[in-house]
Amino acid sequence: MDTDRYDIRLEGQLDPRWSDWFEGFALTHNSDGTTTLTGPITDQAALHGLLRRISDLGVVLISVNNLSQPQNPRSTQQ
Amino acid sequence: MAMPVLATKLFVPPPRPQAVQRSRLTAKLDDGVRIGRKLTLISAPAGFGKTTLLSEWIAATARRDPEMRIAWLSLEESDNDPVRFLTYLIAALNHAEPSVGSGDRDPQLPAEAVLTTLINELTLSSHSVLLVLDDFQLIEDATVRDAVAFLLDHLPSRLHVAIASRSDPLLPVSRIRARGELTELRAADLRFTPDEASDFLTTAMGLTLTREDVAMLETRTEGWIAGLQLAALSMRERSDLPGFISAFAGSNRFVIDYLIEEVLERAPLDVREFLCQTAILDRLSGPLCNAVTGQTDSAEVLESLERANLFVVPLDDHREWYRYHHLFADVLKIRLLPHGSDHISALHGRASEWYESHGLSEDAVHHAFEAADFSRAARVIEATIPGVRKSRQDSTLLGWLDRLPPETINRRPVLTVFSAWSSLVHGAVGSVEPKLAHAEQLLAAFGDDGMPAHDSEPSDELASLPVTIELYRAAVAMASGDQAGIKTHAQRGLDIAAPDDHLGRGAAAGLLGLASWASGELSAGVAAFEASSASLRRAGNLTDALSTTLVISDMLMPLGRLGDTQAAFESALAESFEHHSSGQPTADLHAGLAEVLRERNELFAATEQLAASDALGEGAFSHEHRYRWFVAMAGVRQAEGRLDAAFDLLTQAEQHYRRGFFPESRPIWARKARIRILQERLTEAMGSVSELGLTGTDELSYLTEFGHITLARVLLAQHRAEPVDPSPVTALLARLLDSARAGGRNGSALEIFILQSLALEAQGQTALALIPLEHALDLAAPEGFVRVFLDEGAPMLRLLRAAAGAGIRPDYVRQLNQALRETAGADVSAQPASEVLSERELHVLRLLATSMTGPEIARELYVSLNTMRTHTKHIFLKLDVTSRAAAVHRAEVLGLI
Repeated sequence: MDTDRYDIRLEGQLDPRWSDWFEGFALTHNSDGTTTLTGPITDQAALHGLLRRISDLGVVLISVNNLSQPQNPRSTQQ
Repeated sequence: MAMPVLATKLFVPPPRPQAVQRSRLTAKLDDGVRIGRKLTLISAPAGFGKTTLLSEWIAATARRDPEMRIAWLSLEESDNDPVRFLTYLIAALNHAEPSVGSGDRDPQLPAEAVLTTLINELTLSSHSVLLVLDDFQLIEDATVRDAVAFLLDHLPSRLHVAIASRSDPLLPVSRIRARGELTELRAADLRFTPDEASDFLTTAMGLTLTREDVAMLETRTEGWIAGLQLAALSMRERSDLPGFISAFAGSNRFVIDYLIEEVLERAPLDVREFLCQTAILDRLSGPLCNAVTGQTDSAEVLESLERANLFVVPLDDHREWYRYHHLFADVLKIRLLPHGSDHISALHGRASEWYESHGLSEDAVHHAFEAADFSRAARVIEATIPGVRKSRQDSTLLGWLDRLPPETINRRPVLTVFSAWSSLVHGAVGSVEPKLAHAEQLLAAFGDDGMPAHDSEPSDELASLPVTIELYRAAVAMASGDQAGIKTHAQRGLDIAAPDDHLGRGAAAGLLGLASWASGELSAGVAAFEASSASLRRAGNLTDALSTTLVISDMLMPLGRLGDTQAAFESALAESFEHHSSGQPTADLHAGLAEVLRERNELFAATEQLAASDALGEGAFSHEHRYRWFVAMAGVRQAEGRLDAAFDLLTQAEQHYRRGFFPESRPIWARKARIRILQERLTEAMGSVSELGLTGTDELSYLTEFGHITLARVLLAQHRAEPVDPSPVTALLARLLDSARAGGRNGSALEIFILQSLALEAQGQTALALIPLEHALDLAAPEGFVRVFLDEGAPMLRLLRAAAGAGIRPDYVRQLNQALRETAGADVSAQPASEVLSERELHVLRLLATSMTGPEIARELYVSLNTMRTHTKHIFLKLDVTSRAAAVHRAEVLGLI
């Protein structure tokens, strides 16, 4: 299957060095004090693995968006 | 190598001296246990103090209730192997309450059987047990989860389970919650209240802070304990606390990032290095950390980290093993990433070396994989194959095999053959031979230097590989029912096996025996299995050695060797007693002996054996032989005339029957059909025979013999019910007799002679009937067969009277006649209220006259001490005495002994 792009929003501003920890996802700091992780997810298992890493870190998860889904209103932004 | 149980996993972490007393939470937990709720669930993300709360609660519980036993199990990812999980679960319970989980256990037993035994033992335990499963979020394997769900579904009242997990476990929690059997604490309950935060920062950490400072920290961390703890560490020995707090509060940075930076910045450089380098380790000890970091003072560093409260958790009470708080380890690991993968691999490589040299292979393999050093991983895996296979942790081993690149496996004959085995157990029979052939090529090839051209290290496993290859080939032949192929390869394996390769010889002989059995060569089969049993015993595998007794008995009975069968069971039971084994297959052996005793018409002794078997519990039965108990019990019920009960027991036997590699030589359906004949339900009896397509004109072979004799019985019964042409049954019996005699099967011949005799009697030819009856008596008398006559009822009584008149085998016929009259006359369901001592009681009485102790007598009779005491009580009652000496004296006076 094709690789989908996801963005994942977390509470707090994470240090850029976490990028490697999160499988090379790009880390963007948002003005509201949150962080967005953006990157490719090969399949559902990879997505769940990544979410578990977030949970292991004790970070609060705000939202998960699949940017490659056409019905996703944010998909036009990329 | 049995799986070593790591004590660190069972260590109950002591409460932290500086921890905040959380009585509002421990009171909730106490209430749950007090009102008898089954489960406590503490579900919250990392850093909410789950483990700390549990250890504080447990310390308080243990102080208040010294009778409460605590079983603690810290779970790891490797516990997703069901065998490993159960091993640790049992170890944890046994560590807490020695009466639980102390017996031997077959690692192949299904989880539910293992748990049923545990549950029964816990029910009988004199103490309540609190079982803690920490880090349950790591459990992803469905089998392990099902095992825990099964335990929760059948939880004895003596056991309370507490689970701590970062995410809600995939267990039937909502059902337990709906029944009001759940005590639950979640993140909202766990986070520090403003009062607790204040208590922690000022009292526990000794910081001087204003109420506003505390409130600001509490808000910034949202009561997240790990955050507050890091904040406290950052503030220690800092002069400008308000400045730190306002900077922290004003920052948007992730709490951990901000605070770890602060903490590490203030730590000495060598400590910082130490922390980052050792973050790759799941467990820390001084020597291991020395090996990984190259430092020499790691033990002191670890102790100082513990004193400084720097997220180091002790794993034992003698300051040997520690681990980092998981969250802390994760943060440290990302600081290591910029150093590059080579650097990280080197650290893992050193850890792997250390573990390997300390005999901890599983950790050595784990770190070798982390280091991407496949050749090291392959080497360590090869060395662990014998041990891991013995402890039957197959899924661990198979998981490793999957992670190795094919080119690494293909250079190693030992791993190649192991991979062939993996194909075999997964039913991919077709891919076994190519792998075996490749391994043979590897073994045969040599380099220019005369050295082997493969990568496998010299080892016992490598030395016996040619034998193993032949054994797997025999197994492939077995999968396709190729008896000749089994024999060829098993014999070749036996020929090339070294004299001291006991495991190889045992397996090869067993396969030969199996092929002989399936081809009807029973004496050869018995001899081969006896050789196999002797080799298995030498290899230290008592369980399998004792199990062969059951297989051998299946061949000895049609051979008519009842005496040898009894001797085999008695010596196997004696050996089992000698090794104090209450594990499998002891219960199956009792059931086997019961069948022999039943044939001897010692029904009471047979019942005792079955009771003894039952009393040992499910763990003493082996999976593949479990059905035998029901078959033996059905035999006893049939002899008592309780045919419906016998039929039901056979139905249960069918449910427990596992189709294995052994031929089904006395199939349960045929035993059921025989009960139907006795119930005069001939249509049903005939139905099951026809269903299998058996007819009187089939070609006969040993494997269908029992079925064909059953068919002859149906035909005979039909002939008796209405006069039909007797020639089909006469012809079938004559052919069956030829076949049985050609195969040397005296036991089968005995039964066929009896049926011939009954057939003639039914035709009114009593005088002629005595000829086959005499043959039957000649075969039966030396071995002591009784029931085979008695089970035939009234027609047999007539025949035996005629035999007595004709003076055939007078002693034996008199004995049979008497037994038959007793059976026919007695109301079998009621115990005779006679003052006369039973056979069994006379036996006990004779032993009481010796100097043997009670337990010795019980062992001699293969019964429990309780049963033995019951006998003694009856003897005393009947002899009207109150002591052993008086009983013996009385018996002597009465001429009983």
